[in-house]
Amino acid sequence: MSSLSASSPKPVAPKRRFDTRRLMPYLFISPFFILFGIFGLFPLLFSVVLSLHSWDPAAGFEAMRWVGFDNYTFALTRDDWLHASLYNTLWIALVAGLPQHLIALPLAYFLHTCFGRWRNLVVGLYFLPFITSTVAIALVFSALFSKDFGVVNSILAAFKSVPLVGAIMPEQSVDWANNPQYTKWMISFVVFWRFVGWNTVLYLAALQTVPRDLLEAAEIDGASLWRRFRYIVLPLLKPMMFFAVTLTIIGNLQLFEEPFILTGGTGGTDQAGKTAAMHMYWVAFREGDFGTASAIAWLLFIVIAAVTGLNNRLLGQREND
Amino acid sequence: MLAFVAQASAFGAPKITLTVATFPDLDRAAKLAIPGFKKLYPDVDVRISALSAEDHHTAMITALAGGSNLPDVMAIEARFIGQFAESAGLIDLRRAPYNAEARSTQLAKFALAAGKSSKGAMAALPVDVGPGTMFYRADLLAKAQLKESDLTGSWEQFIDAGKKLKASTGAYLVANAVDIKDIYIRASLADGEGIYFDANGKPVVTSPRFEKAFEIARAARQAGIDARIKAWTNEWSEGFRRDRVAAQMMGAWLGGHLQNWIAPQSKGAWRSAPLPNGMFASWGGSFYAIPEKGRHKEMAWAFLQYLVFDKAQQIEAFRQLDAFPSLLEAQSDPFVDQPIEYFGGTAVRQQWSAAVRKIPAVDVDRYDEAAREIVDAQLEKVLDRGKDIKQALRDAERDILRRVRRY
Amino acid sequence: MATTSSHALAPTAPLTPSNRGWSKPKRIEASQWLAYVIVGVGALIMFAPFYFMFVFATHTNTGILSVPPPLWFGDALGENLKILLERLPYFWQNIGWSFYVALATTALNLFFCSLAGFAFVHLEFAGRALLFKAIMATLLLPTFVGMVPTVLIMGWFGWMNEHRALIVPGACGALGIFMMRQYIGSSVPKELIESARLDGCNDFTIYWRIVLPLIGPAMGTLGMITFIGSWNNFISPLLVFRDMDRYTVPLALRALQGTGQTPWGAICAGAAIAVLPLLALFVISSRRLIEGLTAGAVKQ
Repeated sequence: MSSLSASSPKPVAPKRRFDTRRLMPYLFISPFFILFGIFGLFPLLFSVVLSLHSWDPAAGFEAMRWVGFDNYTFALTRDDWLHASLYNTLWIALVAGLPQHLIALPLAYFLHTCFGRWRNLVVGLYFLPFITSTVAIALVFSALFSKDFGVVNSILAAFKSVPLVGAIMPEQSVDWANNPQYTKWMISFVVFWRFVGWNTVLYLAALQTVPRDLLEAAEIDGASLWRRFRYIVLPLLKPMMFFAVTLTIIGNLQLFEEPFILTGGTGGTDQAGKTAAMHMYWVAFREGDFGTASAIAWLLFIVIAAVTGLNNRLLGQREND
Repeated sequence: MLAFVAQASAFGAPKITLTVATFPDLDRAAKLAIPGFKKLYPDVDVRISALSAEDHHTAMITALAGGSNLPDVMAIEARFIGQFAESAGLIDLRRAPYNAEARSTQLAKFALAAGKSSKGAMAALPVDVGPGTMFYRADLLAKAQLKESDLTGSWEQFIDAGKKLKASTGAYLVANAVDIKDIYIRASLADGEGIYFDANGKPVVTSPRFEKAFEIARAARQAGIDARIKAWTNEWSEGFRRDRVAAQMMGAWLGGHLQNWIAPQSKGAWRSAPLPNGMFASWGGSFYAIPEKGRHKEMAWAFLQYLVFDKAQQIEAFRQLDAFPSLLEAQSDPFVDQPIEYFGGTAVRQQWSAAVRKIPAVDVDRYDEAAREIVDAQLEKVLDRGKDIKQALRDAERDILRRVRRY
Repeated sequence: MATTSSHALAPTAPLTPSNRGWSKPKRIEASQWLAYVIVGVGALIMFAPFYFMFVFATHTNTGILSVPPPLWFGDALGENLKILLERLPYFWQNIGWSFYVALATTALNLFFCSLAGFAFVHLEFAGRALLFKAIMATLLLPTFVGMVPTVLIMGWFGWMNEHRALIVPGACGALGIFMMRQYIGSSVPKELIESARLDGCNDFTIYWRIVLPLIGPAMGTLGMITFIGSWNNFISPLLVFRDMDRYTVPLALRALQGTGQTPWGAICAGAAIAVLPLLALFVISSRRLIEGLTAGAVKQ
């Protein structure tokens, strides 16, 4: 909030009448503050106001009715779909998020140490999902996850005949999109797929800062690949782990596009694939209730802040060890 | 009619472009109106934009809220009418110069009632209505040695027929047991009753109507006669194409979809029958409204009237899209007696026309969509997880009461 | 909060050629072979959806909806494109709009962010550190909270259905300013600026003549990131556009969904077209993009 008051240049008692030089820097950085003020800060403040009112915007400002914290109490105590969607959001954030890091970390290390000129190609392949259009690829995934005709179910069916593995394969073709039991798995997989490469790249970046001599010395001392990873690399990567996990948390808790496309904008049967951000969108633009939608937005913000804070305590502090 | 036209054409001096926002297939009906409308108003261009029904209504809520970028004429689907009718952003068509009340007796009463707000404002006029009907595949039924009357008798007979069909052809009689519930709760209502709420806004989902609807749906599921396919998915349309599903209960407008894209190749094999157990229900339908902040309101009213009150236009939309006319005059035109090739040369429109007369004026509520979600979720628990029906409906009522906020 | 962010971004130290990985492993442990296989299979899984996208783009709907699904290219690409253009009559226009929005957003970002980055590194002014921290702090503000009011604001501005509703709000990102500050700080020597100033150049001339020519690599990275982000943006257009002929590509593709019969072949063809510019951009510059991203700003 300090940014607003600070953005307007303080009168710096000009020595000459037209000292444009002193104003120049402020002019150079002003685009950000002007745009942020109009399209960033103002909407945030306005959303606070909205969240305290009941309002049909089509009826004009005079129809705005102060309801105090009613929208918040409704959202907290009576909005069952919000509660379900919050649960879904946390579920997906965990199931899609955790493996991203469990795989990206060793993968980055392995790519860093054991790949020569192939490294860039492999990193490129893993990174590709991150740069492609979510909508385009999520649409492709809905085809792959189709119940009767999808590639995923065909592969599962093929594994059915393999001994051991076959036993854990589903009996019937799985209705990923419409069976509430499976919807979240499908969404989580797509999210995982999209971001595992991104995290790998982040960890690769951090690995560049690990001193080469340190690892080589350890190798000469006979430390195995795994021990070098566990005792040298991992501690040094902690700051990046904290950063990457924070990004994952913030991103996953705001998840919108993947579930929106994969469930055709509905959230799936029994809202099984509806995330909190989707629910906010739904309340605002389907139910037309902007007040409650704004309250939900702030509640979600609090959840994100809380989880980020938790992460800060878990990962952020130990980095000082 | 002509008097109205003359009155409105006085406004049409400079060239204007009228924007009409709709969704498929209604956009096709609107396009049909353009040549005729242009004869009356040569200076008016009509621009029709269509988004998928979901996106269209979201866009309209956004536009109404922002008060900008509104179309001149706005289409509203039956599912959303309860919510839109309450919007302050739509013109009350009872007002001068529209005075719609004077002409409203020409329209199907039950649909007209749906377009009114809780305060009686006439927010939208119906352009087509959806008499509930049962489409079925005569060829598949014949293979199982079943007749139409096996489907239209009691619900027990209907389910028995489904078992026979499955045994001899492998085809399912219904795509999803949920469809049975949906048609049942829409049927046998009295004038002024709502599907989910009574006139005072109290939920009525624990009534025997819902109990029975759930029971029949469960019986159908247990008999294994539903394909467990969700409507409007690929599996659904493929199910019809590949002879996996032999019947579908829905609004008459589904006929247009069947002919146009779902199953054009099974021409002649489809039939339309009355609903089982002598029921009559309204399913779907479309409305048109004029936003307060539209730019060409008078011309919008002229176009809306052309869509709704012009008999030739109503019949043309009926002919091409099975959009059943809301205009009473068009409903009784000799045109309805014509046989339709797609339906094996039967005069299905006669049957729909008879059904439409028996549909009660159902009261809509802005929370109908929310109630539907909640009831569907409970039905899913009954069908798939063996939840007790009474308990499920009590839970649905509780959930609806929690959801609904009336100031 | 502000400290969190500056801390979090700390590890993105510049990458120098001397510490960029190892040339070759000396010996290969047995378990390493397994790891190679796993990484390879993983890469295949990563690429598989793209493969199927291209394969499905060449099959009819009936072909795709069969068991098992097609695994090799078919011959129905033309047919799918025809269906695509039938269902999305403005598809080429949509692609044009996507390019327009992405290029405009990118150009504005490059200019505004580098200008601000330059100011933060080489110009003295009161509140410099605080203002920079403020900019970084905005990164922590969740964008979705402002979603509902933004729609109302766009309505009041009369920007609904207008592409400037996408371009203007995204014209100067905080991340871009951060990247530019990092790069300019490490690659434009202070002495150069001082001597130019002694020659009588004003601040803007210095930026234009001295700084701009030196920051090509960072501009390339930021340009790519911005372009990709804008090209893929879905939520803002979803809120803003009403007419199909104004849509950007993601919105157009999404319109193929949920209308009963989903034309998978056409969707995949459209998705492939939407992804191709990015793939091309990526193939040309993947190394710089990845390394640019990883190092915040790379000294090549």
